[in-house]
Amino acid sequence: MPPFKRILVANRGEIALRVIRTAEEMGIETVAVYSDADRTAMHVRRATHAVHLGGSKPSESYLDIGKVVDAAKRTGCDALHPGYGFLSENEDAAQACIDQRIEFLGPPPNAIRSMGDKVEARKIAMKAGAPIVPGLQEEVDEKRLAAAAKQVGYPVMLKAAAGGGGKGIRIVREEKQLLEAFHLARAEAKSAFGDDRIYLEKFVTRPRHVEIQVMADKHGNVVHYGERECSVQRRHQKLVEESPCMALTPEMRAQMGKAACDLARAVGYVGAGTVEFLHSEGKFYFLEMNTRLQVEHPVTEMRFQVDLVREQIRVGAGEKVAPVPEPRGHAIEVRVNAEDPNSFFPSLGLIKRMTMPGGPGVRLDSALYRGMEVTPYYDSMLAKLVVHGADREQAIARCKRALREMRIVGVSTSLPVALRALQSTEFASGDYDTGILERIERKPPSAQRELAMLAAAAARFLVAERAGAGSGAREAGETTPPWALLGRAERLRRATP
Amino acid sequence: MKYTTKFDGDERCFQIERHAGVLTARIGDKVFGLDLALVGDGATFSLLVDGRSYDVVADVQREQVTVQMLGEQFVVHVEDERERAAHAVAGHKKGGKRELRAAMPGIVVDVKVAAGDSAEEGQTLVVLEAMKMQNPLAAEAAGKVTRVLCKKGEAVAAGALLLELE
Repeated sequence: MPPFKRILVANRGEIALRVIRTAEEMGIETVAVYSDADRTAMHVRRATHAVHLGGSKPSESYLDIGKVVDAAKRTGCDALHPGYGFLSENEDAAQACIDQRIEFLGPPPNAIRSMGDKVEARKIAMKAGAPIVPGLQEEVDEKRLAAAAKQVGYPVMLKAAAGGGGKGIRIVREEKQLLEAFHLARAEAKSAFGDDRIYLEKFVTRPRHVEIQVMADKHGNVVHYGERECSVQRRHQKLVEESPCMALTPEMRAQMGKAACDLARAVGYVGAGTVEFLHSEGKFYFLEMNTRLQVEHPVTEMRFQVDLVREQIRVGAGEKVAPVPEPRGHAIEVRVNAEDPNSFFPSLGLIKRMTMPGGPGVRLDSALYRGMEVTPYYDSMLAKLVVHGADREQAIARCKRALREMRIVGVSTSLPVALRALQSTEFASGDYDTGILERIERKPPSAQRELAMLAAAAARFLVAERAGAGSGAREAGETTPPWALLGRAERLRRATP
Repeated sequence: MKYTTKFDGDERCFQIERHAGVLTARIGDKVFGLDLALVGDGATFSLLVDGRSYDVVADVQREQVTVQMLGEQFVVHVEDERERAAHAVAGHKKGGKRELRAAMPGIVVDVKVAAGDSAEEGQTLVVLEAMKMQNPLAAEAAGKVTRVLCKKGEAVAAGALLLELE
């Protein structure tokens, strides 16, 4: 007997598809919800049922608790999976589900509330015995800002109290940048979370971002699946994650695991959660707890041969959390974002064609399809490439190989940046920190440039040649798409005896 | 046909010819044997350079060719002889004007300068919000703001002209 009859998946993109896949394997029906922009999205097509929510803006669809919970009620769902982002860390959404007797596949509302407020979370973590980065525990205002920064010592970080996903964060190296950074962080926090409270903490040297995956059931059992190293970041957003982390000793791993489980217990946690730590020069500090399934959860899944969504569903239904299997080998995830590889600005457009990687040890989580429009409404992540290898060296080689296989045409992507990061000696050594992307090669290797320029010229030559063969008009190649020209040339060739 | 290609400050000229079905590329005094075959999707090419194989995706948009190969992406500007000559004629009309354009579609959340202001290099001129991130757009070099073409709260398209400086 499946633990639930029907789950509403309150999300979109790859994570909605990810949840639908596991639910289908467990014999549970799914209800997809969608906005105007997502009518033809993969999650709508792959779910058992689909409900239209409204406009393309998240506030009119995926963020509208009333609409989402009403859709769950109307379609007879007995559970709701929030995915990540959107309503996943929204205590009101969790409460609305409880009120409607729908199982919210996430922690109880008060756990979301206390961990969601980063200032409050630090206090609880401290009480639970986790080390904390020096800083101001309460929100700062403009008046106290400069004095507080001076007291903690530059460089300092400004962070949104309601933060997450790298939004509302600014590093400030000297006082004259402080005020502008404060206003930018505030505006960003206000727009992303509707809450402009900012707190301040010391920016630690050579920081690594290491997090522990936990899973808790309703019987008071909490387990952890070791760590994920997430230090390869741009604009404070993760780009490459791996497990295990090369900087941890077995003792440290055990300490962090225990701290994470203790914290989960302290807030009465249920379901999947991640406790993030800052690792700096052999020490670790509590950063925050993300009360949701994380983007990078497949790294853990590959290494532990566990399906974390399945575990979420099982513990949500009141079952006990399964024992943690022994980890094997090494796993790496690369996020493929629609963004300019140099500026990291979002890149929008139509996915004209794509080639996805395959072969041994390769997993691709994506809701990408040919003809998909990358819009400004949603997150820019297109796909997650996850690889597993017998050891780190094999995992890196495999990841590089898979990245070279992958092609996405229509928007620019972070693929080249990820490849250069993996090719860097810094990454290979395992001794890196969150600044790694600022130090790696920003440009394609010079040996490849001339080849690429030759390929570009040759492509234009061939396009012009084929256009010439078809119409006699050499200029046609500049206005007619090459595939149209190809078709024309092919038809002509066939027509010629 | 002679092609002038530009990528990231580098310029290379290739003479590409087909004689009796055989394709060659000449750069300086080097000559490569090429074999280029278009795959059925219309944009993937199998390129053999002196027998060495490359799987290339080339998106040809007029003179801008976006090449994906070896895990990298290269946006290459390619001119043939005729285009190069046409550009040489048109190229004489540029002044000392500089432009600040939106690198992506978004909403202008702040305009930090007015016409007539002087801006230092690296100074934030406009803050553009896109995908929930606040992106400060800074002056590439010191200069004087001559025109402000956007206002706070306005939605702008990618490439929209925001400011002019000189």
